[in-house]
Amino acid sequence: MSAPRTIAITGLGTFLGRRLVERLHGAWPNLHLVGVDLRRPWALDGKLSFHRVDLTEPTADGRLAEVFEKEGVEAVLHAAFRNQPTPDLEMDHELETIGSLHLLHACAAARVTRLVVASTTMTYGPWPDNPNFLSEDHPLRGHPGAHSVNNRVEVEGLVAEWRERHPETEVAVLRHAWIMGPTYTDPVVRYFERRVVPTLLGYDPLLQFVHEEDCLDVFETALLEGRSGVYNVVGSGVMPLSSLLRCAGKRPLPIPAPLLYRLGDYPAQAQSGDPPSGFYDYLRYLWVAAGERGWAAFGEPVYSTREAWMSFVSSRRMRRYR
Amino acid sequence: MSDEGPVSDEREEAGGESLRLALRDLRREIRERFPEEESELDWMSLFDELRRRAGNLGIEEYSGEIDEFGMSPEAVLRVRPLLEFLRRRWWRTEVVGLEEVPEQGPVLFVANRSGLLPWDGLMLAHLLSEARPAEPRPRFLVADWLITLPFAQSSLARLGGVRACRENAERLLHGGSSVIAFPEGAKGAAKVFRERYRLKRFGRGGVVRLALAARVPIVPVAVIGAEEAHPILFKVETLARGLGLPFLPVTPTFPWLGPLGALPLPAKWSVHFGSPILAHPEEPGPLRDELLVSRMTEELRAQIQAMVDEDLHRREGVFA
Repeated sequence: MSAPRTIAITGLGTFLGRRLVERLHGAWPNLHLVGVDLRRPWALDGKLSFHRVDLTEPTADGRLAEVFEKEGVEAVLHAAFRNQPTPDLEMDHELETIGSLHLLHACAAARVTRLVVASTTMTYGPWPDNPNFLSEDHPLRGHPGAHSVNNRVEVEGLVAEWRERHPETEVAVLRHAWIMGPTYTDPVVRYFERRVVPTLLGYDPLLQFVHEEDCLDVFETALLEGRSGVYNVVGSGVMPLSSLLRCAGKRPLPIPAPLLYRLGDYPAQAQSGDPPSGFYDYLRYLWVAAGERGWAAFGEPVYSTREAWMSFVSSRRMRRYR
Repeated sequence: MSDEGPVSDEREEAGGESLRLALRDLRREIRERFPEEESELDWMSLFDELRRRAGNLGIEEYSGEIDEFGMSPEAVLRVRPLLEFLRRRWWRTEVVGLEEVPEQGPVLFVANRSGLLPWDGLMLAHLLSEARPAEPRPRFLVADWLITLPFAQSSLARLGGVRACRENAERLLHGGSSVIAFPEGAKGAAKVFRERYRLKRFGRGGVVRLALAARVPIVPVAVIGAEEAHPILFKVETLARGLGLPFLPVTPTFPWLGPLGALPLPAKWSVHFGSPILAHPEEPGPLRDELLVSRMTEELRAQIQAMVDEDLHRREGVFA
């Protein structure tokens, strides 16, 4: 299939959804964009035809299929995943896992020919017995303390199953590393924005980033040209946490692991959300993904891990002096 | 409304001026009363200067380049004098058979493991990088439990240690680096003194399969002396579980001397490189032959055991 004429995007409030609408609308004026979300994104008004669908509703699949058929959707980007922690874990599960299930059903019913699903390399999980570079075939083990990551693992399982039942659809699952760049924000970025960064005493893991523009490039290519398979979307190279902080002129605050976990968990218990200990394990063990397959399919990234980090740091510096 | 602005500005300005004057007086007074405060202030400005440098110039000055497995050439350069001292003075290492090592290309070195701390891996990597300066520094594989310990993890990675697993070793060999493997694994490190120089089972044939798949020669290596550098008298297991260690070793110096006990004893070392086993680099057929792989693994173990026995026989004394 050549470039699709109509693309539907779920999750317009997310970074990926919003930025891809802007990009596609700017570069391809003839492309018809369909947006699906709970809230109308006013900033994107006039760039797409918006349909309000609540993915957590039991009838969301039928509603979605209706929208897809009416608009003649050929390709779908599924990016309706939260990147902010929420105290309502049940709702999170409903939205991410069950919502994805609804979307998959709707795609099958509306005979969508191309599906792109956003995932993250966090789904591999930080485990002491990870190899230094995790290939796409490595099992997704998630992390017992990180519910949103485990939801994604579940989603990937659903997508893999669905792909086998619907071989006529091109499915690309894109696992991106932590995104860094001038405009991207999520809890990870906020953690790195601090001047003094708490780290785990005695651990200095190798970390990996992808620049926001590189990440968007990959998603755009997958939507317009189509790629089938699972790909890691990562920048080249790795950097130890200590070097990252030193480059940025930030100061590490090493705290013994048990203490840091407890310190972080007590305030979080009041909200009964994801404990941050799930996050700190990602600063403890290796979970670097191998990028070769993705680079071969989508082209080399413009920014390496170091350059993505420097782009993030320098943009925040400018913000401080502005 | 409109003429209130400048008035309040003036007031503020006057307030600011008086505050500045008061602070200046206070500073002068402090300086007169505590003349030694001068040096204290200097320290503070020095600290500020350092912080400014770390914050601004750091970007250009600090390179901190590491390779994809986390080895830092700077760190390796820093420990080189120490390793050289250990090799020449402390352990008086005798090296035999270096001429057997292929001059070019990645090689899989297989050695007997001894001692809790990976001194043997560090020393072999050091010897081989000196002997083959044109080749990338060989990387030594480290058992899981050591690579996850706090401090050990990052420092070993900076010095060239890599977690022992098939994916890592394959990637290294394909990238052109030589790999030093200790197929005895944790069993080898946990040998007590009375079992010294008796090689344990060689994993599950992983090294042979690895060399066959990557089509690299295997060079067997016998390391003598590392067993006596940290002779484990017996193992304490109850206390160790709380610390996340597989066991707590009791050596003649540890834990009696505290952290000093981590220093190795000056036993005499010898490192013996055997002739390379070119594991049929043409056909990958034996890969599928499980029996052949396990037989080759056992042969390799027997060969290293024979080399160890021979060197032990030749040795005049542990510390001679």
